[in-house]
Order: sequence, then C-alpha cells, then structure tokens
Amino acid sequence: MIREQEFLHLAQVDRATLTVWIEEAWLAPAERDGERVFEEIDLARARLILDLRQNMGVNDQGVGVILHLLDQLHGLRSAMGELLGTIRETRAAEREP
Amino acid sequence: MKDPYETLGVAKTATPKEIKKAYLRLAKKLHPDLNPGDTRAEEKFKEVSSANDFLSDPERRRRYDAGEIDAAGVEKAAHRFYKDYAGASGNPYETEAAYADFADTDSFFADLLRRRAQEGRRARGADQLYRLEIDFLDAVNGAKKEIGLPQGGRLDVTIPAGIEEGQSLRLRGRGAPSPGGGEAGDALIEISIRPHPFFSRDGDDIRLDLPITLIEAALGAEVKTPTPSGPVLLKIPKGASTGAVLRLKGKGVLHGDKRGDEFVRLQVMMPTQPEPELEAFLSSWRPASSYDPRREMERQS
Repeated sequence: MIREQEFLHLAQVDRATLTVWIEEAWLAPAERDGERVFEEIDLARARLILDLRQNMGVNDQGVGVILHLLDQLHGLRSAMGELLGTIRETRAAEREP
Repeated sequence: MKDPYETLGVAKTATPKEIKKAYLRLAKKLHPDLNPGDTRAEEKFKEVSSANDFLSDPERRRRYDAGEIDAAGVEKAAHRFYKDYAGASGNPYETEAAYADFADTDSFFADLLRRRAQEGRRARGADQLYRLEIDFLDAVNGAKKEIGLPQGGRLDVTIPAGIEEGQSLRLRGRGAPSPGGGEAGDALIEISIRPHPFFSRDGDDIRLDLPITLIEAALGAEVKTPTPSGPVLLKIPKGASTGAVLRLKGKGVLHGDKRGDEFVRLQVMMPTQPEPELEAFLSSWRPASSYDPRREMERQS
C-alpha cells in the first residue's frame, strides 16, 4: 500500500495531474479512511502513462484508448490462461485410468 | 552490449535528433507493455533503451567513438513494467469487454469465468520485496534487525548466522493483504552485506591479513588477532615470512552446526621511521646459511 504523498513522489506527478488521471479513470486507487491509497500496479500504470505521453508522443486521447485496449488485452490474456489451464486439467484427467 | 549505433540502426554520424527519432520509432514498436506476451520484444526494447541512453550522453558517445571505452556496463537495473503487475491475478483494471459476448452465448465459458472471479476474490496477497543492508559481522554472527515499512509499522527480521550476500529471507504472511478474504502474501527480504575493513569471507572461512613487526616475524610472538567472535592470541612461529597462512580453527562462519576456520595471512611490516641501528646491523650481517628467496623463480625462468 502506498499513500498519496509518496505516490506523487515515486511517480513524479503533481496532485492536479493525478486528479485528472483519476477522473479520466486511467487510475483507480482504493480509498481507506477517506484517503486514496495505491498499490504497486497503480504505480507501474502511472509510469506507463508517463512513458506514453512523454517518450512516445501519445496525446491524452490516445492514452485513454491505449489503456482501454490494454485492459481488454490483459482480460483476454487471463481468460486465455484460464482456458488453457482448464484444457490441461481435462486432458490430464482423461489420461488417468 | 552490441554496437549502439547498430542497435538503433543509425549511422555513426547521426545527429542527436536522428538518434532520438530512431529510438522512438523502435521503442513504440517494442515497448514491453504494448507486447505483453513477447519476451523477445522486451529483450530488444532493453537493448534499444541502453543504446539510446549511451548515445544520448555526449561525453560517453565521444569516448566510445574515440575507442576509449566499449559499450558494456550501461545496462539499466531491471525495471518492472506495467505488464508484470497486470499479468498477475487480481488486476483491478482488466476487463472482460473483449470477450463478454462469448460468455453470453456459451455456458461452459460463462461457468469458467464465474469460477475465475471467485478465485480472484480468494487470491493471496502479493509478496513484497525489501532490501536490507547489514554489517559484515552481523551476517557472520547473526543478528536481529528492524525494517521500517513505507506505510508505517515495522518488520522484525532475524538474520541467521552465516547468511550470504544476495540471500533472501521470507517472512510468511507479512506481505500485502489479500484483495478479498484470502491469506496475505509474504515479505521477501533481500540481504546485502557491507564489506568489512579487514575481514573477508571465503564460503564459511574468514580471511584476514595480519600485519606483524619484523621482530615478531624473526623471533616469534603471541599476537592479539581479531576474529568475528572477538580477539584471540595467535602464536606466530619464529622466522615467519609475509604470505605465511596460519589457521585459527573454528573461528570462521557458523554454518548449521559446523564452523569454518579463520585463515590469517601474515604481512611483515618494516619500521616506518629510519632505524640506523637496524641498518648498521644488516650491513654487517652475514647469514649463517645461504639464503636466496628467488632461487626457485630463477631456476624456472
């Protein structure tokens, strides 16, 4: 768990920017006792957003599109992993006498 | 590292702007978060980033061009990408939007997804990594340490005697809490050991260079010698030379129920101030037996 103050420092963003990102639903930190709390995945996601905007020339609209596609891609990847696991289990069960 | 110009596909005469452009073109294609299943893209991305860092430093580029340095040693520390977290279970951002239509029409798939959602809620919390730097003697003798956690609170860490550089300690259940009702992850503590001013370690043995005086070397002596468990008296035999190694049995690192040894290498030190009496004696001294420490060396060359 990372507190907001520390998150701003680690991600190197200011509070106003962070607020916009949360409003855009690019980041969705949890809330505890009325304060935002972050996880490692939020920090990694913030770094990806910065990478896209600063190093790869993606504009704000593009960031939203890319994140949405990435979230679908990761959803697909875990569903595929799940399917493969199920297939493997089924085949192992069939091989048992 | 390979030739950074070749990695980026630019000429040696490329301007900083051209280098930046070549880097961006490759980075967009290879960024690990845009290729989450492709480990080769990640490798390539790291090469390209290193090459760009290297050539973006004008001083380093100049020295490389002049043949003064090679391109090695500029790899960045391992950097974790978003995909490394997004691929773990319990990613709150991932969505079923790309395949929800399959689930609507296929009950097998719908069941599978329901089961997965339940498992996600029971998932274990993440492991959390910490680094702890400890003193050489704490690593040899064992110690109790405390780590202050970034979110407040402390972790008590018991360092077992004989721990080695880079070894990790696992504290079960002291990592991140589960997103649902599952068990917490573990805290993993990676140990690094500060070097000691005079001890060094060779597996379970301790090595020490011990300076002795000319008199102690010639006449023999008992000399107070440091060991990790406190000083002991070491008997220096008469006529000891620099390089002679003496063993202090059982004064090394505790490993299970066995202890290594301490190996003490003698180093005969001449007096630091002029010693006219010693010089006068040595100029008139005729050794009783022939004494040529380089004989072996000359015979072999």
